[in-house]
Amino acid sequence: MAVDTAPAPALVDDRAPARHVKAGAAYAVLGLLLVLAAVAWLGGRTTTIAFDRTLTDASWEAPTFGVVLGLGVLCAAAGAWMLVGLPQRRFKPASAVAVTAFALALLFWAYSQEGTVFRAESILAGALFLSMPYIFGALSGVVCERSGVINIGIEAQFLMGAFTGVLTANITGNIYAGMAAAMVAGSLSTMLLALLATKYQVNQVVVGVILNLLALGFTSFMYDQLKKADGFNDAFSVPVISWGPLADIPVLGPVLFQQKLFVYVGLLLVFVIWFLLYRTRWGLRTRAVGEHPAAADSMGVNVNRLRYWNVTAAGLIAGFGGAWFTLGNSLAFNKNMTAGLGFVALAVMIVGRWNPLGVLAGALIFGFTTQIARDLSAAGSGVPGEFLQMLPYAVTLVVVAGLIGKAKAPAADGVPYNPGDK
Amino acid sequence: MSDSTATTEAPAEPPAPDTEGDEAKPNFIRLFGRYLTEANSVMVTIYSLVLAFLIGAILLIVSDEYTRSTFSYFFARPQDAWYASRDLVAESYTALFEGAILNFNTLASYQAGDAEFGNLLRPISETLTYATPLIFTGLAVGLAFRAGLFNIGAQGQLIFGMMGALIVGFTLDLPIWLHLPLAIIAGGLAGGLLGAVPGVLKAATGAHEVISSIMLNNIAALFLVWALGTAFLHSETQSDLVSKPVEESAVLPTLLSSLNPSLRVNLALIIGFAAAVFTWWLLSKSTFGFRIRAVGFNEHAAATAGMRIGSTYTTTMAAAGAFAGLGGAALALGVANGGITTNTALDYGFSGITVALLGRANPGGIVASALLFGALKAGALSAQPDVPVDISTLLQATIVLFIAAPALVKAILHLRTPRGGLVTLEAKGW
Repeated sequence: MAVDTAPAPALVDDRAPARHVKAGAAYAVLGLLLVLAAVAWLGGRTTTIAFDRTLTDASWEAPTFGVVLGLGVLCAAAGAWMLVGLPQRRFKPASAVAVTAFALALLFWAYSQEGTVFRAESILAGALFLSMPYIFGALSGVVCERSGVINIGIEAQFLMGAFTGVLTANITGNIYAGMAAAMVAGSLSTMLLALLATKYQVNQVVVGVILNLLALGFTSFMYDQLKKADGFNDAFSVPVISWGPLADIPVLGPVLFQQKLFVYVGLLLVFVIWFLLYRTRWGLRTRAVGEHPAAADSMGVNVNRLRYWNVTAAGLIAGFGGAWFTLGNSLAFNKNMTAGLGFVALAVMIVGRWNPLGVLAGALIFGFTTQIARDLSAAGSGVPGEFLQMLPYAVTLVVVAGLIGKAKAPAADGVPYNPGDK
Repeated sequence: MSDSTATTEAPAEPPAPDTEGDEAKPNFIRLFGRYLTEANSVMVTIYSLVLAFLIGAILLIVSDEYTRSTFSYFFARPQDAWYASRDLVAESYTALFEGAILNFNTLASYQAGDAEFGNLLRPISETLTYATPLIFTGLAVGLAFRAGLFNIGAQGQLIFGMMGALIVGFTLDLPIWLHLPLAIIAGGLAGGLLGAVPGVLKAATGAHEVISSIMLNNIAALFLVWALGTAFLHSETQSDLVSKPVEESAVLPTLLSSLNPSLRVNLALIIGFAAAVFTWWLLSKSTFGFRIRAVGFNEHAAATAGMRIGSTYTTTMAAAGAFAGLGGAALALGVANGGITTNTALDYGFSGITVALLGRANPGGIVASALLFGALKAGALSAQPDVPVDISTLLQATIVLFIAAPALVKAILHLRTPRGGLVTLEAKGW
């Protein structure tokens, strides 16, 4: 980055102070609101943080008033600094501090109610686990869209994977066979998309939405048909992999070393796909096909064949993510059990700016939001459970609205490539 | 090639009048045969229906336990598998037909004098009842399509319309000529407000309407669950999650209940037809419709011509949402006037997508495909549990998959490309 900006020092000096009125005012107001809220409501309350899995008898009680007040002041201070003017290179860190302080303060506030305990280890471990469908779905989206094919049908691959996974596990009695079948099912679903998008040049957004309806109809239909007999849709559970002594480390142990296979595969895939996309010949070609297919074609890349196989392979990932819904959660299949999370995964992909590492960060935020919403509604906070359940969807809406203009999709995303049209 | 020879031959014929009939006949048959083997939009629609019902039949056979068991000894006695499959498919599709169009048992007892004429009309009435909300949601998706917008949010807009109509329906106490229109308008307004959101977001920030409208669907569905539990909406007499009933003066009058009280089809059907005619007028005769189509064809050209793209997105989505909201009002004031539940909306909004695609976003086509899918829904609901109820969703999605991909139908059946090229629907990417 520094190398890129160096040739034009006269135009952009990242040390010169600059004002950011809108962002600064927003953070300052939010910070002040926190301070006011703390003074008005939070006197005498405490927030209990427990390490519930490793150090079962240790817990830490924080005075909510002081913490929220401090975080509010921090947030407001960051805002004030932006209003006064700060060096350009300090803007992003200052924003990050303000947002984190605000979110933390809300968290402390939410868990200050009587009877609520922030069970740090369970919540963080659960958040990582819940971010998995977003990771698988968004990674599948990244592979498709980096190759220039829009995949709105992630929901379809989830449903197919969830259904086929549990069905195959029931028939064979083996969960790993179920996972493999889920991957194949997801892949068959994207293969149809790939075929229609490359060979038949059909509009990809339309096909994606139809694929979702098709998968919903197909899995619901089969669910009703197979329900008539026993032994096709029983829940199977995936073992938790515990890494011996590593699992006893406070916080890190339960979060990283005591999870199901899905978590390890998901985390590994993020780095594998990042490596493949940015460090291999396949990755360079894929990105080229997504940005400028005609150029890639003239360099000898068979655009539509690469797209076809990339999209088909991406289905393996999303299908595996589908198995998370049934096998990963030890649940039987149910109609429409993915509940729109395939679309949330698309939003995660946009937040992650079509980059696997960004996807990881985005998925963690969404997973954490979902986990907090679940935990708070179970603990019985003042907010109705339905509104907490809306949280991931509302965050998606805000994120998509706030980011999409700034996040740039691959240039040829969604544009069918016809070699004859050059 | 042969097509052009056919047309040039025709004017050369008249000098020999006695051979004209003989010449025209094979010509007509040839032209008709050509038409049948060409991937024009009529034939693609017909072949899509045929292919979808074939696929549905295969799935029925594969997923039925008894029929599957006959395939296990297929090579010993293939006729068992054949008869079992044939009977299963025939029975399932007959059950759909009897639930949607005409029940043969009722027909027999009507001919024997045991049933009234009204009983005979019951399947048709159910079909029309289920088609009514589909006309509205189909228009909601179809209108947005013409502006190049893919409105997946009809489900949420329908739910909001349902709530808007319900609230006006039970809070006010007015004469029917005022109360009913007010309640219907409230439904349209509520749906329109929710529909405008993705339009505004797209205009202001570029957020893709597919994602924002599907998020609003989820939010609206959860909002309905919450709202039904509040004291304001919750029924005073029932403990389960049901709303209050609307006042008598806000109930849509039924059309045929004088023949038989079980005929539920109501005035909303007529309003639906009127809405379709209005949409046709809007799209083809009004300035607003011209703007919608211009933006849908080419937004850059429309912008160059001085049209405001952002406000067109917003108004189109609001109008689309209003249509879906009217569909919600039709439910809340019609079939569900005793109180709405979380289940009242079924999947009308999502089916609206298939209705609009099959109708190729034309008002007339939308009405026709709403009737077809209404029939599927009525048939599936009456045929369950013998036939899984989701066969209607499955068939719908399969039909529109082929409709959206005419090239696929063309390739499967080796059809010819029509002169104007294949007709497809487009929605924009990010």
